[in-house]
Amino acid sequence: MAAAAELGNVADLALEEAFPAGIRVLVIDDDRVSLKVVCIMLKKCGYEATQCSSGKEALEMLTQNEGEFDIVLTDVHMPDVDGFELLEKVGLGMDLPVVMLSEDSSRETVVKGINHGACDYLIKPVQIEELKKIAVHVLTWRNANSSIDPELIED
Amino acid sequence: MDYVNIRRQAASIRKGLFDQGYLDEQFYQLEDLQDDASPNFVDEVVTLFFRDSLRLMANIDQALDKCAKDFNKLDVYMQQLKGSCTSIGASKMKTECTAFRDYCRDENIEGCMRSFQKLKREHSVLRQKLESYFQQLRQAGPIECATRPSK
Repeated sequence: MAAAAELGNVADLALEEAFPAGIRVLVIDDDRVSLKVVCIMLKKCGYEATQCSSGKEALEMLTQNEGEFDIVLTDVHMPDVDGFELLEKVGLGMDLPVVMLSEDSSRETVVKGINHGACDYLIKPVQIEELKKIAVHVLTWRNANSSIDPELIED
Repeated sequence: MDYVNIRRQAASIRKGLFDQGYLDEQFYQLEDLQDDASPNFVDEVVTLFFRDSLRLMANIDQALDKCAKDFNKLDVYMQQLKGSCTSIGASKMKTECTAFRDYCRDENIEGCMRSFQKLKREHSVLRQKLESYFQQLRQAGPIECATRPSK
């Protein structure tokens, strides 16, 4: 038990010491204007922001570069692969926290997002203060999803 | 070159844009984001906005011209345009985008066309004024900081 706990603590400590600086965010939005504004805000929060203007490309990027991002921030309504599909494939399939970001503030869409596993749903235009909080989701997600390899547990 | 006068003109254009409701608080956000690391940020975002919005509006024009009234497609384009407007604080345009989408929902093609003409006019006015504003700022010199009117 001691070895597994130690491994867990070192990883968490590393994240917490750097926290929230260096959190790697993948931002997905077909609107390049929104993308530009959100990315500069993320950089000011101390995060590393990578932009992608297509849901389809984002999925490819995430599949090919597993472990490269800590959190995904995605628009909802996009022409090819939309936010809900990303939520399904990324949130569930890739074990990454997903925050939705949209102009669509209809109750229906927000509830759909949260029910499908989005960590949060932010309404555009997003304020920099709201983006500062997304780092919390990275920690919460890791804490909720951390698993201990039983082979490492010493009896 | 009379820098004081140029700055005054720039400030006047900017104030007018807020007073007349062309721009809202989101534009202040953009100005706040501009700093030494990104000294032309607002100009860049605005330029990007006009480039992308022109393209979207051309698509909408084409879609409206066609006999088939694809309200779904029109709504999708307008949703995209509205999103961009929101990002830069283009308030009047945003309002008109909403009106257009309401007409789409009601499948009112004449309403859509009227609304779109209005939107094009507002786009044009905003573009003229902002281009003029940034031109003045560039002439006034690189250390120019727009002063924010008291909220």
